[in-house]
Amino acid sequence: MQVEHLAKSYGGVRAVRDVSFEVHRGEVFALLGPNGAGKTTTVEILEGFRQRDRGAVTVLGFDPAGRPRELRDRLGIVLQECAVEPNLTVHEVLTRNAGYYRDPRPVDEVIELVGLQEKATSRVARLSGGQQRRLDVGLGIIGRPELIFLDEPTTGFDPGARRGAWELVRSLAHDGSTVILTTHYMDEAEALADQVAVVSSGRIVAQGPPSSIGGRDVAEAHIRFALDDPALAGTLPLAVQAHGGVYEVTTDDELGVLRALLDWSRDHDAPLVGLTVTRLTLEDVYLRLTAGHEVGSDEQRQHLTASTASTASTASTDEARREGTS
Amino acid sequence: MRVRAAMVGGDLRQMTRQIRYEQLAFWRNRFGAVFTVGFSVVFLLLLAAGGGTTHDSAIGGIAEIQYYVPGFAAYGVMSACYNNLGISLVNRRQTGLLKRLRLSPVATWVMFGAILGNAAVISIIQVALLLAIGRLGYSVVLPDQWVALVLAVVVGIICFTALGVAVSTFVSSQDSAGPIISLIFFVLLFLSGLWFPLKAGSTLDQVSNYFPIHHLIVAFFAPFDTAPHASPWAWHDLAVVAIWGAAATVIAIRRFAWEPRRS
Repeated sequence: MQVEHLAKSYGGVRAVRDVSFEVHRGEVFALLGPNGAGKTTTVEILEGFRQRDRGAVTVLGFDPAGRPRELRDRLGIVLQECAVEPNLTVHEVLTRNAGYYRDPRPVDEVIELVGLQEKATSRVARLSGGQQRRLDVGLGIIGRPELIFLDEPTTGFDPGARRGAWELVRSLAHDGSTVILTTHYMDEAEALADQVAVVSSGRIVAQGPPSSIGGRDVAEAHIRFALDDPALAGTLPLAVQAHGGVYEVTTDDELGVLRALLDWSRDHDAPLVGLTVTRLTLEDVYLRLTAGHEVGSDEQRQHLTASTASTASTASTDEARREGTS
Repeated sequence: MRVRAAMVGGDLRQMTRQIRYEQLAFWRNRFGAVFTVGFSVVFLLLLAAGGGTTHDSAIGGIAEIQYYVPGFAAYGVMSACYNNLGISLVNRRQTGLLKRLRLSPVATWVMFGAILGNAAVISIIQVALLLAIGRLGYSVVLPDQWVALVLAVVVGIICFTALGVAVSTFVSSQDSAGPIISLIFFVLLFLSGLWFPLKAGSTLDQVSNYFPIHHLIVAFFAPFDTAPHASPWAWHDLAVVAIWGAAATVIAIRRFAWEPRRS
């Protein structure tokens, strides 16, 4: 799949400004971004639901704009917030939809794959939110798709069901299906995706494998620990920041700092309680890259209030872009 | 040509299959089924009990039941094609079912045609049911000119389906779909002589003449009219219904949306 300089406006609102990426067969590709960033519009153009204004798109060798039947037969789509006929049973809905495809998976196999064996004869209206979501996933894979779009597939799942859904996505990718995933969950993108693209205000602001996106692999590490006797903090061998009872060192030489801390700990017989070393989490990268798009979390608010000028949000976005592309 | 014909044949089979699932879902939803089908039967029985055998001068002195049976058959068509379909389309659009339909690999006309076809099937079941009740329960005289009745049913189904699709494009929330669409329907029904035949030239008659409901009732009644020299062909009334249907089709095509409307 190839997307080049995709753009789409609604009225005067430029939902997608300039999006380019490439997805290879068998890859799991995650689109991350805040609400209104243009993820769903991008996916809808790839699905053939919406027409683009500009740019070139090829999906499985087809231009989705013409909605060719051949292409739709090979796509699986799991929509966000999308109902299923409430008065049919799980088995009936899957049987009906299996009939839309040339080479569908057996209905019972799909029911087992999404773990709805006990609900097969229940009406859709009587399923819980998580069960309905699993049915959505089942409807997405019933046609044995080569390419699957998953729009926030695990929203409303309990942790166990989420792990189950992740296993399913992995097994689909293992069997050769390509997966395009949009999600708000960083751990989901990290666990599943081979490639991540962060979308903000209609543009891709960073792209790469989840382990190195946004310079994660070369960014500074955070070392955190607590002390049983806070009075000893004054004798630490390097400058630390104290947050409540937790001490933090930010460094690009975590091995040197750890060596110094461990020596100090042995000499003073003072254990480093709850010692952790973290690099930027994917969430840190994401929040930095999408800062200014919307003020949604505490960290972003801090980020914004740190710069007092009224141009704070634009400034931080520019900064994020520079960092993202470096 | 043969390949194309085979594809259309496959599409028609697919549509028939889809209509069967639509039927299953419709009859399972007791509330919708009772409201659409039960309503016409219950009212017919009540009106028949309350004087169905009396003769009415507004319809040339023939028995009132001879008017109520085709009247409620017309109601059944309008209820399935306008009221039920209109509300159901708003619900389907707002909950994303239409978007899902649009994304399925089956041709869109097949999937959407099944929704409209389902309304037609419900209409025909109701017409048959009401005629059977009228014939067996109240000895209603069935038409000599069946073709006139079939024509009225077909025109009614097509035009009120168009009206149902058109009205669904004006309602932007599931909560208001039932109240708005049904309110328009029942106010116009009241004006249009469903519960009592309108006297020609009366104010109600003049007002209701501008709307399609009265004309459809008259077109359904014409083949049942046992008065001497009465014509079974209500061409003028069918033409008015057809004009409404054509206008509604234009509006429906221009305004139709597959995805939820954010109000």
